[in-house]
Amino acid sequence: MATFILGLPYDSNVQPTPDLWVLLALVGLPFAAAAATPLVARALGNRTAYYAAAVAAVCFGLVVTLAGTHGGAAVSWVGPLSVSLGFYVDGLATLVGALASGVGVLVFLYSAGYMRGEPGQPKYYATMLAFMGSMLGVVYAGDLVVLFCFWELTSVASFLLVGHYSDRRDSRYAARKAMLVTVGGGLFMLVGFVLLASTVGTYSLAAMLAEPAATRAAVERAGLLLPILSLVGIGAATKSAQVPFHVWLPDAMAAPTPVSAFLHSATMVKAGVFLLGRVRPILVGDHWTEIFVALGLCTMLVAAILAVCASELKELLAYSTVSHLGLIVAGFGFTGALGSETAVFHILNHAAFKAALFLVAGIVAHEAGTRAFDDLGGLRHDLPITAAVAVVAALGMGGVPPFNGFYSKELLFEASYEFAHHAGGLAWLAPVVAVVGSVFTLAYSLRFLAVFFGERPDTLGHVHRAPWSMTGPPVALAAIAGVIGLGGITAALGAPLAPVESFVGWVVGATLGPEAAGHAASFHYYLPTYVSPAVVMSALAIAGGIVCYLRWRTVRWATRGLLGALPVLRADGWYDGFVYGANHASTRVQRALWTGHLRTYAAWTFVGAVALAGFGYLATGIAVPTAGPTLGAGLTIILAVAAVAAVAAVRAPSHVAGVMALSVVGFAVTVFFVLASAPDVALTQVVVETVTFVVFLVILDKLPSYYGRIERSRAARDAVISVLVGGLVTVTTLVATDASPDAIATYFVENTVEQAGGHNIVNVILVDFRGLDTLGEISVVAMAAVTVLTLIVMRERGETP
Amino acid sequence: MTTNLVIAPVLVALVTAITCILVRFAPRVQRTCSLVGVVAYSATTFALLARVWPANTLAYQVGNWRAPYGITLVADPLSGFMLTMTAVVAPLTLVYSVRHLKAPGQRVSYHTLFHFLLVGSTGAFLTGDLFNLFVWFEVTLMASYGLVAFYSGRDGTLAATRYVVLNLVGSSLMLLAVGGLYGVTGTLNMADMARWLAAASPAEATPVLGLSLLLLAVFGLKAGLVPFQWWVPSAYAAAPAPAAAMLAGVAKKVGVYAVIRVGFVVFAAADPTFTLGGLAGDLLAAYGPVLFALAGASILVGGLAALDRPTFEETLAYSSIGQVGFIVLPLAVAAAVPDLRTVGVAAALVYALNHALAKPLLFLVGGLVEDAAGTTELDVLGGLAGRSPTLAGAFLVGGLSLVGIPPLAGFFGKLLVFRAAALGDATVALAVAVAGAVLTIAYVSRTWNRAFWGERTDVVASMGALDPVRLAVVVALAGCIVAVGVGFGPVYGFAEAAGHVATGPGRDAYVRAVLGGGVA
Repeated sequence: MATFILGLPYDSNVQPTPDLWVLLALVGLPFAAAAATPLVARALGNRTAYYAAAVAAVCFGLVVTLAGTHGGAAVSWVGPLSVSLGFYVDGLATLVGALASGVGVLVFLYSAGYMRGEPGQPKYYATMLAFMGSMLGVVYAGDLVVLFCFWELTSVASFLLVGHYSDRRDSRYAARKAMLVTVGGGLFMLVGFVLLASTVGTYSLAAMLAEPAATRAAVERAGLLLPILSLVGIGAATKSAQVPFHVWLPDAMAAPTPVSAFLHSATMVKAGVFLLGRVRPILVGDHWTEIFVALGLCTMLVAAILAVCASELKELLAYSTVSHLGLIVAGFGFTGALGSETAVFHILNHAAFKAALFLVAGIVAHEAGTRAFDDLGGLRHDLPITAAVAVVAALGMGGVPPFNGFYSKELLFEASYEFAHHAGGLAWLAPVVAVVGSVFTLAYSLRFLAVFFGERPDTLGHVHRAPWSMTGPPVALAAIAGVIGLGGITAALGAPLAPVESFVGWVVGATLGPEAAGHAASFHYYLPTYVSPAVVMSALAIAGGIVCYLRWRTVRWATRGLLGALPVLRADGWYDGFVYGANHASTRVQRALWTGHLRTYAAWTFVGAVALAGFGYLATGIAVPTAGPTLGAGLTIILAVAAVAAVAAVRAPSHVAGVMALSVVGFAVTVFFVLASAPDVALTQVVVETVTFVVFLVILDKLPSYYGRIERSRAARDAVISVLVGGLVTVTTLVATDASPDAIATYFVENTVEQAGGHNIVNVILVDFRGLDTLGEISVVAMAAVTVLTLIVMRERGETP
Repeated sequence: MTTNLVIAPVLVALVTAITCILVRFAPRVQRTCSLVGVVAYSATTFALLARVWPANTLAYQVGNWRAPYGITLVADPLSGFMLTMTAVVAPLTLVYSVRHLKAPGQRVSYHTLFHFLLVGSTGAFLTGDLFNLFVWFEVTLMASYGLVAFYSGRDGTLAATRYVVLNLVGSSLMLLAVGGLYGVTGTLNMADMARWLAAASPAEATPVLGLSLLLLAVFGLKAGLVPFQWWVPSAYAAAPAPAAAMLAGVAKKVGVYAVIRVGFVVFAAADPTFTLGGLAGDLLAAYGPVLFALAGASILVGGLAALDRPTFEETLAYSSIGQVGFIVLPLAVAAAVPDLRTVGVAAALVYALNHALAKPLLFLVGGLVEDAAGTTELDVLGGLAGRSPTLAGAFLVGGLSLVGIPPLAGFFGKLLVFRAAALGDATVALAVAVAGAVLTIAYVSRTWNRAFWGERTDVVASMGALDPVRLAVVVALAGCIVAVGVGFGPVYGFAEAAGHVATGPGRDAYVRAVLGGGVA
């Protein structure tokens, strides 16, 4: 990977802007290839891997052609929202883009051996390709919406890949866990993006990065720096599995090993740290440093301890990945260029050694049939090439000079020492935690290596040689790691590995804050030839690591004891607590609300309506007219009869008595209409009352003839509610009849005869002025008839869906 | 320019509904009529849309009685948006229905009820008259009742009884509110009422807030918002799958539409009239907290309740309570912050569109599963993804759209809801929205894990082949969801034009179009 960057003009101030079409091709190609995969797989079968690898290689080529360009390219997407399909190219994008496509090539080649003969290959390759496209989209996004789009797509791809063995319960559990944590975290990030865009006035990341100082000033003016920082930080922390969101990554190891190597060590989990690098020029500052240094170092230490407790290869690597991501987060957290150098260089180094180690773990599991430490040992005889790869990669992971991880860890020590020296006080925790974390890191790295050395357990059966398609990719990765490591030696001898140095320097330049914007891309790394605080820290870490390894049983006993005492470190509790708690709450809410009793539903519906209308009446302070119209003696008697009958209906001991009482109310209303000179309405009312009375009596015959006992409390509640509803209706009626606006009624009175040719205003309104209403109501009656028919016909059929 | 076209969609659906009764003894003719009718419905709707686009308001005075004395039907971008949504979902659902329901059921009433449901919702989207809105609500209600009760089994009848009783409670409350408003303002025509409110003295207009909130309660009942959500789960679970798709996709949106039309177009015209506690401002300022309470409670209750349901369609039914909460949430912001009226209404419409596509899709997937496997119990399903990758893919698109995964329609829904809340500085609304979205991830991933992944159970293994036509319908809906997301530019333009109605100038144009008696 290091060689492609030879001779590109990073140092030049005039970098050409990228070509939109190349970017579209780069991001679009993997998706198109994914769509075509089912067809291709039908033709190629097990060789689909090479097709996918070819696609990844083309993408890698496009990444190379884009390296050296700088700036944004966009087409409009949603104009009014100032959202564009925008891309942005700089050093950081090139680095992570090269990882996504370069590691992609190797992982696909490896898959050719690993996935051979497995079912579900088309789905696997399609999802992997789509993932690669999404990852490239995240990396080259020049617009917050575009970034978010691809960000969530990587989570979805991860969900599908983690659940690849969907028959297994642990796969499904892990997939859902990964989805809930990363997509949920993504939502927080989206809120952060929305706040950022609302403040700045555009979603264009390219525009924000062009003016980082102005963007930051706008955010600070709005007082949104900390909220945005935290929200975007949650997004990054969930994706990059930072404490306490690291719970999903170890479970995600349920995926096939190439997936773990690709998504869960080299690329997808790098999206979080990539995002930090991306927004770092805008948001870096005191809050930034406090949050991310603490988060990163805490993660580094906790995950290193968890890795020591691991009982099998992939679990160890998963926690180790979390720990190293913590290192990178902490690196980006430090304000100066040194921090950026730590993070950027470690992104590169970690991708090389960790992907190699995952592939090694895959080979071991594939050939030996187990991943448990207790069952493994002395594999160097069976798998010599793999063992050599493991040595280079694991010592890089452990930070042993002159292997590649050593240099970036040395940078971390230097950055943390300077930070502590500068800030003083509690900040001295930073170098201490960094060293302690590194002690555990070396210890578990050696433990990993021990699989290849020492005694071969008797239980281990015959171990096959891995095919070349599986050993080739880790060899390539280890070679890169090894070359980077050797570069430190040659640099100490006066001949630095210029391409790597200038490339990393270029990438670092993209992640610096505005105050360091002039910082030249002058990155150097070398094997230290003099004693400095960082060298002392390295020495301490290495010595400690070796001691820990020699006392492995004691250390593991102690760390497991620590975990036993502090289960919070594993943090699975909060996730399971959330999921089970939510399920439990779900059942409780559902049972508490949906009791199945219609009367309860109706009661609360009334309460809701009364509350809303009552709030309105109180808010405006309506004046309820107290001087009601004077009722004549006849009307008073009628209304009194109705009132008594209503009370009787409520207190009726049987259905029949209740219906009788109710119909007395109805007929009292009829008399009221007669007295109010509305004979036609009265006639209607008589018909309605008569029919309902008869229908009720017919139906009552089918019902139990007694009432159940009603609880006093519920009776009281219902009484209160009915008084409230009555109050609402009364108030509304009084208020409505009190007003005398210039009503449309006048028009009807004046025009009925002349315009509509009818003498009964009500009838004319029904059939002419508002004929459409009547048409609608007729439809309702017709439908009621149709529904009755349906009920009868369908019931006889006894049909279920 | 004639405005007759405005009434055309209603008439087409009405004629189709009636024809379907008349030809019910010739099933093949009936099916053909029904399908031709729904295509004609969509065609007239799109023709109307072309006339309304990009910002016209057409008013049709029924019976040529001039407003405000007769009934006016009004087509503007807002109603155009809702109608377009309906015109996309209805034909797909009907094609699915024809394959899904057994012949006797189709013959007796299904097609009639389906088209009457269209009549009711279309009328509600188009009417410019408050009492006429009540009538269309009744039409929708009765058609829905018939569809919920359709299978006439124990569950169906019970669910339908609950549905009809609760909605009749709503009807009586609505009648009270409409009567009260007529008494106070002296008119039923919405434009005329807006004009009256704008000119009324504060003393005259005092009762309007309470009356309008009473109406809001009724609209909330139609939309299934908490605390009026009781009828939703059992009705959706009992109805035939395509009917549930129409109820959740279209009929429910009538309530949301009414909130926008009546609340944001008519009542927003009232002058500042109210002070209570620290709150003061125009009438809509009081809507802010009320809508927020309804929306927030719906999001949380619906999302939470959906999490642990035993069957596919129950999960979807509870989910739709929460999803309507998401639709209303930006309306709460829009009510509280006058500058955000267009933004908030547009956000609500986009979210409504997403829900109108995704939820029917999911119900229809559920219907296919039920039909093929004989059950939708999540406990006995498993391994569907291996059985039918196409079905699984469609479900995934719909489910992820509910979650808000880009570039699907639901993503922009979520984005706009968040944006409205962020612009309105509504931190609590943002928090509720995020919590609701996390719950959505939880129940979608749960349903996926339990039904589509896992070991293939006996029920799934013995499943017959899935009907390609219904599968095609489901895939088409998934295609719509992707298309709306990818080509979101014009969709947002449309939503924004519709949201413009909620602003002062937008309302003026509406009032002019109606009371001027012609085209604005």
